Amino acid sequence: MTDSAEAVRTQRLFKRFGQQVAVGGVDLVVPRGSFAGLVGPNGAGKTTTLSMVTGLLRPDDGAIHIDGLDVWRDPVAVKARIGVLPEGLRLFERLSGRELLSYNGQLRGIPKTEVERRTEELLRVMDLADSADKLVVDYSTGMRKKIGLAAALLHNPRVLFLDEPFEGVDPVSANTLTEVLRRYTASGATVVFSSHVMDLVERLCDWVSVMSRGQIVAQGPLDQVRAGRSLNEAFLGLVGARGEGHGQDGGEGLSWLGATSA
Amino acid sequence: MAGRDLGVNGQGTGPGTDGPLPGDTGGFGGDGRGVGLPGASAPAGNGSPAGGAVRVSPLIFVRLKLRLIAGNLRGNGVRLAGFIFTVIAAIAVATFGFLGLSALRFAPDDVAVDVGVVLFTIFLVSWAVGPLLVFGLDDTLDPSRLALFPLRTGQLAAGMFATSITGVWPIATLILMSGAIAGLAGGIGGVLLGVVAVLLQFALCIVTSRLITTALSGVMRTRRGRDVLAISVIFFVLAGQLPNLLLNGGFSADPGRMLHAIASVLRWTPPGMAAHAIADGGLVAVAELVVLAALVLVIGRLWIAALRKALVTTDASTEGASVRNSRGVLARFLPDGQLAAVATKELKYARRDPRGRVVWFTSVAVTGVMAFSLSRGEGAGGIGLVVGPACLGAVMIALQSANSFGIDGRSLWMNSVVYGTGRAWRTDLAGRHLAVATIATPLLGLLAVLAALLAGNPLWAVPGALTAWGVLGVGLGVGAMTSVLVPYSVPERLNAFTGAVPGQGGIAFVASFGAMIGGGLLALPVTVPILLGVTWVSALAVPYGLLVSWAGRRMAGDIGFRRYPELVGAVSQGS
Repeated sequence: MTDSAEAVRTQRLFKRFGQQVAVGGVDLVVPRGSFAGLVGPNGAGKTTTLSMVTGLLRPDDGAIHIDGLDVWRDPVAVKARIGVLPEGLRLFERLSGRELLSYNGQLRGIPKTEVERRTEELLRVMDLADSADKLVVDYSTGMRKKIGLAAALLHNPRVLFLDEPFEGVDPVSANTLTEVLRRYTASGATVVFSSHVMDLVERLCDWVSVMSRGQIVAQGPLDQVRAGRSLNEAFLGLVGARGEGHGQDGGEGLSWLGATSA
Repeated sequence: MAGRDLGVNGQGTGPGTDGPLPGDTGGFGGDGRGVGLPGASAPAGNGSPAGGAVRVSPLIFVRLKLRLIAGNLRGNGVRLAGFIFTVIAAIAVATFGFLGLSALRFAPDDVAVDVGVVLFTIFLVSWAVGPLLVFGLDDTLDPSRLALFPLRTGQLAAGMFATSITGVWPIATLILMSGAIAGLAGGIGGVLLGVVAVLLQFALCIVTSRLITTALSGVMRTRRGRDVLAISVIFFVLAGQLPNLLLNGGFSADPGRMLHAIASVLRWTPPGMAAHAIADGGLVAVAELVVLAALVLVIGRLWIAALRKALVTTDASTEGASVRNSRGVLARFLPDGQLAAVATKELKYARRDPRGRVVWFTSVAVTGVMAFSLSRGEGAGGIGLVVGPACLGAVMIALQSANSFGIDGRSLWMNSVVYGTGRAWRTDLAGRHLAVATIATPLLGLLAVLAALLAGNPLWAVPGALTAWGVLGVGLGVGAMTSVLVPYSVPERLNAFTGAVPGQGGIAFVASFGAMIGGGLLALPVTVPILLGVTWVSALAVPYGLLVSWAGRRMAGDIGFRRYPELVGAVSQGS
């Protein structure tokens, strides 16, 4: 059951919103113990995919397995095993950071003393100890991401899903986040995170899945996907962007734009 | 919502326009005339509105509003149903209101005018207060979303005014009020002045309502401000109950005289003058309308000032104070775990979230006023004087739970990534109910005692409290079902006082009314015998209430688990 070598595997995952196909048959694979990056332009379907994988959004079709367990058929086992930080900063804003963590722990049935111990440690590591008793509503973006990550880690999940964890985070907080995540994957746990920032993905990840228009266009170990180029170049090539910025339209259109026009 | 949608046209684009228009303070050149004009430092591009305001017709805002309404409804059956429901309700209100006001023609002249005066005042007050309290009446555009467009505040105000009158309820109000022309006007002069009077009254309603929401929207951007504002909403609720109290106190004496006494005061208020002007139709009417028009302009100016301020005021409340890290009373008695977690979190939210405070204060205030006014009424008497208000209080409190997950809103994912069974959702609901009951049980007991003392028989407090607790249980059970079947989002920002985000007002209405009707019907087995005098039935009320709430949670837990992605989606709309 759980001897699957893959932490995450989806098969023909499909989701449409009205006329728009957001995710059109995605076969996402993430080997166990990897630090995986899910990259793609805006609207590629990253968030939709992660929402479906974490059981927050019902897929129209396809199957999702985490550690070999079906997300929609075996929710109890799957939910105990995953940690989630969704897009946006949707947290219980009227709880303090400390209360938010203990709420999460209690909700998951972890004994109170253990919750308190883990909470204090997480707050310290995340550099949030001074703000632990402030309401989350008064937190900055970086602090929210950190408290969100702490909440996702509290029950020691096997697989962690993070949607844009570094968006709007200052360099100091980002450093803290990466340190924690590195240590976490070193122990054999799996991290899947989505990002636009290629440098970051290149620096952190050993596994990359590239999405474009609701499809996986490339997937595999980092070196295989970038194939000797920088990840950014490989990515632009894969998603079919006109890399140079002056393609067919670039020179002709927008002629009015800029200080020297007219 | 791009610039294209707004149809922003640069002045000086067309060949016929050259140079800045008089009164245009922006100062920019038209084509090829940039050099030499005062203030024309911006490059005179190909008609780009480089430094000044642009001309935007209010019609564009109307189109935008219509597009937003349509967009909200697209591909969502429940919302569409809610919207259709709203439209039907509005048509009914407009039709019956129009006919009712027209029927004033058959009343004696002085009575007709008095009724018109009172009604017009009520319309204005409802418009002023309504959008703050009632579900989704006010879904005008958020001005801050338009802040970056090069619009002068006046244009923005005209546009916002146009969007404000684009809607089901404004149109219904206008139709309704034109009934007064048919009902009150005498002669052609009266009709002509009547049309003006109704339009001015309508404009007054809209502008006042806008002024209040805009002025408050600035305050609501700071967290502290929102928290303080919670209290002023209670004031509005109480003020809304004031006429009710007065009428209840006085109607028994002589309705006609009472009406005249009220109308003779209200007649000098702006809406009173509007109503009076329709009936008068002479020179006095003209003078009144001039005053009214001036008032509309003044309030309009104030609104523009408020709008201008709201656009540049940012959230200033990032400095937060620490909260006490207490575990709370409830946590000490409950076994550690999910139930305790949810219940204590809910209690914290009732205290810390302004929305939580608003609903609690509203329930208490409305119930208190009702109990007071009921007790002053004559006739009926008996145990109903105690059971009535106590049950009403129970219903008001239980209605909060008709959308249990609404206040969690976008945060609800945090629970849903944990819950893997229907049982977990049931426990979650139980935690919420426990939190409500923790506050409500003593409150309802107190209410029953007060009502019993007012009614003159302290012993009635016992059946009163028991029945109220039972009704609360019934209400919670039904509320659990509506919470999972017709969930809706409660907006967090700006319109913190409307019940639902734009487009979900109808659903909110259905949820509240479904809970009220369902709860009312299910409560009949205990309330009817007690009101008929079979007092011992009240002993069964609490077990019955517990049973219904348990059954409600049981069913709702399973339904909630089956459709939790949809549930989380429904409460995560908007803001």
